Amino acid sequence: MRTVSTLFAGAAFAAASLGVAAPASAATICFAFQDLETEFWVAGHTAITRTLEEAGHTVIERNANEDANRQLEQVRDCIAQGVDGIIIIPQDGESAVTIVNEAQDNDVPIAVFNRPPSDLSKGIIVVADNASIASQAVDFLAQEAIANREGDGKLTPMIIVGDLGDPNAVGRKDGFYAALENYPDDFNTPIEVASEWDAATALANLEAAVTANPEIDLLFTSSDFLFPTIRSVFEPRGMWVPRGEAGHVVMGGLDGDATACQLLKEGFIDSTGVQDLYFEAEAALNAILAAIEAGEAQPNEVIEDPGFALTSANLGEREMDMWGCVLLSEGFLDQ
Amino acid sequence: MAVLLSFEALRKEYFGVPALRDLTLDIRRGEVVGVIGENGAGKSTLMNMIGGVVAPTSGEMRWLGEPYHPRMPSDATARGVAFIHQELNLFTNLTIAENIFVDDFPARFGMIDRAAMRQRTAELLSQLALEVAPDTSVDSLAPGERQLVEIAKALHRDAELIIFDEPTTSLTPRETAKLFETIERLRADGKTILFISHILGDVKRLSDTVVVLRDGQLVAQEPAAGFDVPDMITAMIGRALGGLYPDRTAAPRDEIAFSAKALSQPGILEDVSFDIRAGEILGLFGLMGSGRSEMARIIFGLDPLEEGALTLKNQPLTGGVRDRIARGVAFVTEDRRAEGLLMDAPIAENLSLVSIEEFGRAPLALLDHARLDHRTEQLKTDMIIKAGDIKTQPARALSGGNQQKVVIGKWLMRHSDLFILDEPTRGVDVGAKFEIYALADRLAAAGSSVLFISSELEELMGMCDRIMVMNRGEVMGMFDRADFSERAILAMAFGKQAAGKEVAA
Amino acid sequence: MTDSGPLPATAEREEPALAPTVGQRAKRIFLSDYFVLYLSLAYFLVLMPFLPTLSNPANLANILSNMWPLLVVAIGQTFVLTIAGIDLSQGSVVGFTSVVGAMLLAATASPDVLSNAPIWGLIIDETGGPLAGVPGGIALAIAAMIAAGGLIGAANGLAIAHFRMPPFMVTLVTMIVISAFAIFLTQSENIRNLPEAYIQLGKGDIVSVYFGEQDESRIPRREIYSFITYPMIIAVTVAIIAHIALSRTVFGRQVFAIGTNRRAAEISGVPVKRVIVLVFTISAVCATIGALLYSTRLEAGRPTLGDGNFLLDVIGATVIGGTSLFGGKGKIIWTVFGVFFFVLLSNTLNLMNLSSFHIDMVKGAVIVAAALLDVLRTRLIRGGI
Repeated sequence: MRTVSTLFAGAAFAAASLGVAAPASAATICFAFQDLETEFWVAGHTAITRTLEEAGHTVIERNANEDANRQLEQVRDCIAQGVDGIIIIPQDGESAVTIVNEAQDNDVPIAVFNRPPSDLSKGIIVVADNASIASQAVDFLAQEAIANREGDGKLTPMIIVGDLGDPNAVGRKDGFYAALENYPDDFNTPIEVASEWDAATALANLEAAVTANPEIDLLFTSSDFLFPTIRSVFEPRGMWVPRGEAGHVVMGGLDGDATACQLLKEGFIDSTGVQDLYFEAEAALNAILAAIEAGEAQPNEVIEDPGFALTSANLGEREMDMWGCVLLSEGFLDQ
Repeated sequence: MAVLLSFEALRKEYFGVPALRDLTLDIRRGEVVGVIGENGAGKSTLMNMIGGVVAPTSGEMRWLGEPYHPRMPSDATARGVAFIHQELNLFTNLTIAENIFVDDFPARFGMIDRAAMRQRTAELLSQLALEVAPDTSVDSLAPGERQLVEIAKALHRDAELIIFDEPTTSLTPRETAKLFETIERLRADGKTILFISHILGDVKRLSDTVVVLRDGQLVAQEPAAGFDVPDMITAMIGRALGGLYPDRTAAPRDEIAFSAKALSQPGILEDVSFDIRAGEILGLFGLMGSGRSEMARIIFGLDPLEEGALTLKNQPLTGGVRDRIARGVAFVTEDRRAEGLLMDAPIAENLSLVSIEEFGRAPLALLDHARLDHRTEQLKTDMIIKAGDIKTQPARALSGGNQQKVVIGKWLMRHSDLFILDEPTRGVDVGAKFEIYALADRLAAAGSSVLFISSELEELMGMCDRIMVMNRGEVMGMFDRADFSERAILAMAFGKQAAGKEVAA
Repeated sequence: MTDSGPLPATAEREEPALAPTVGQRAKRIFLSDYFVLYLSLAYFLVLMPFLPTLSNPANLANILSNMWPLLVVAIGQTFVLTIAGIDLSQGSVVGFTSVVGAMLLAATASPDVLSNAPIWGLIIDETGGPLAGVPGGIALAIAAMIAAGGLIGAANGLAIAHFRMPPFMVTLVTMIVISAFAIFLTQSENIRNLPEAYIQLGKGDIVSVYFGEQDESRIPRREIYSFITYPMIIAVTVAIIAHIALSRTVFGRQVFAIGTNRRAAEISGVPVKRVIVLVFTISAVCATIGALLYSTRLEAGRPTLGDGNFLLDVIGATVIGGTSLFGGKGKIIWTVFGVFFFVLLSNTLNLMNLSSFHIDMVKGAVIVAAALLDVLRTRLIRGGI
């Protein structure tokens, strides 16, 4: 059966190479996303659809509602509809591989946005480098902490780690340690607080850790969603204090959500590492449009998003590159 | 006497098929008119027209000489028509008084005037000789008492014409007697009564005039005094029936086929023992609550038995329903709708249900359709089931008598040694009754034992070799055919409880 | 008077032999086994001018390929609805058995992903599952999946038949427990690296059609469409077996009898408990075969397969076909047409570029309409009006 398909495939290729269609300016792009339930995905979705529409392309949207099977069926329907290219935010890394194969088998270029497939060798894949982003954010925190140091003693850093079964959490932790290695004389061994990506667990462990080590100079949380939890532990202890006032703990996180943006503006935190969602969207779009122009049906490329850290220092110039701040400016937290 | 209600060339057609053909009839005020006819003869159609449920296709109804065109049931109620159905329309969660006043609560200062309600209800109840308090909840009443409440409701609305539709079906003999007294009293008060019943003896006893319908036509209107039951049957079915009961064709054999020894189940049966011979029809008579149906269920393995032993053909009878069926026990339930039939399934599927496994071909139990169709068709002919295509027509579409034939018929697709017939003729018209009796005789003649349970003593006396009488879970006595006496059997059935209040079912 | 209602007993009165009126003809079509098929074809024809992609061979191939797995699961549900039950646990059985098959067959697994899962080291590790590369391993793994699914179904049936618990309650609890257990087994991770031959069961094609180049999209693409596929053969085989079982065997008759009147069936000696257990087992086994098709086309065992609105699709498609929620009425052919209509509906709504929220709203409305039609049909048949 395979042989039959292959035979036809060969014939089809022969036919295709003869008649290359003249590139038209506008393309039809199928954008299949898995869900819009978290603010990050809402922002990502908006980033992509807006950019595409502004460039004059037609966008066909498909929401799979967290059902991988439905996403596969939707992508197939897009292919049948004759779209020029596909961008997906997959439900998970495994189904992403299947869907990429499906599109490439049908000669439709495909890009995977933000959540990487477990096999990076096929398709245009845009991935954020968590370790690099974390280390940029932590580097700024380290400099701040050193600058504010009173006396000569070593500083005490603390990290709230995520679920270490999650490669994301591991990358973030690695980035944290990598940044502190640059300042070997200034910091004690970091205190690790486990969160398992769960607010309740984080609350209990953080309370214990802060009670045992009240003198913390630097706190990094592996995800911004834990800031409200941190606040509820710090505030009663007088540790939730804005920059410039006595008792301020140098603090940062990663993700760049709307809450983090607000806290950064209010001065309670000093930096947050963020995926450059707009860079990612643009990179994915450019790569897919380039493939369409080039008539390349199976473009394979890994685009790394180094991310950046939004800090108290660069807040003014880069604010609107952070998706959380964009949401914030649109009144997201007021809803 | 003045004419209360008259029909002139009254006709009703459904889709061009006449259900009632040009009926002309006068009903005089203060009379008790018995209305009889087989199922489908047009009785329901006539009653529905009087009640405003359906409108006549042509013809005229007159009420005291005025044109009478009820467009809905409330029009009929307003004119003074009341129906007492066999299935009563009472709110069992309310009291008697609330039921009587349910659509016109007396109000005083915007509040329900309970005192007035109670007083009026008490008057009505005493008029009907029902000695219970107006505040009694209806669900604590026996079926007969509930029926009296319905009548009280009719009286409260000043009903002129009271229509009784099969009122005695769920009543004990004692309750029936009381109902008849009440009807006599209503007549004495000048009310007009239509009395519809399959029990022709009751009709004759109670009515002044008997009206017979057949195929939508009036075939007889006679004074009850000179109209005997066999004549009524002849008029109803259009031919003479060779008596009410068929002659028994064979005598019971000597061997004992089934025996029950010392059956006891707390609260239901107490030390019940009896035998049935091969070829014998044993009647079982008892009032509601006597344990007769409960015992049938125990013998069939539906309900548990704490003590005692059952024997069929010298082998102990144990296990569940499927084991009993495999041993040759057949059970015709008293509740045709809930337990007897697959109402929405085709007749053929109903007929083959019990023996369906015999039509499966190994190894996958694929149905042998040819043999199955042949057998069900044969059974249809054999049992004279009046139906169209039995493979498509649902059991629901059959008349009561034909439905009952299907319930019995499914047990005839295989051989059984013991047939338990629980009220096999309930709600069945005279013609079908005769056929069911004949069938019981045939089963016995073929050597099976039959346990015939009925609350109609007459039919037991007509069909059985012996009659066993039960009361409160105990066997009170056994009568041989030669000693059958209605009075003695009834007295025994009332037994110890004759003095006290009856046990409601 | 008890038994003759206001209408004359139809048994004893023949309808006049006149030429059928328009109303009668409409009624005949409405009550026909093929009603939903006619409806689907009409729907297809009406939309064809508006949705040019609809009749495109690629789209037809998609419709077919989306039909097969859903059909297999809906066939199981048809048996359950016919005995007046409902099986809410089918979705969780799909997820669970897809994990069972994948953990036995995976050629290799990554410790990064699965080392936290309770099955790591116990059943699966870097060298894959116990049946990876074993001759006949795929057959063994499928047998294990069916055994696992069948056991769940039998447990449902036993609770319902012997303890007389309502099917809704029993299968709801099974749904929650089994999907939690499947997620626990892999800690919500998916298992990939399934053997190629196994994947072929969900994706492999046997007859494909080549249509030449298509020039609408900017990159010309090969046009090969799979029409006869392994999923098709599996689903059609299941449908034929189910059809025979339901309409031509003793067991099928007993299923209908229980659905029409359980008490009467019991008193007539139908082995009610045994049939109920068997029906729920069939339902779960069908869900397992559905799991095989769904998980192989996604090339992974997924504990969350069959989550979300999957059950709506299954029960919806079955009811649209005409199988009654009240029991006693069901045909496999109806379910085939119901699934076809349902898949066609989803496909067309996708082609109209509606959002998923709108799609679910329309699907919900169609299912409600189907349930109403069920009531109406029942009345038409009973009342003859």
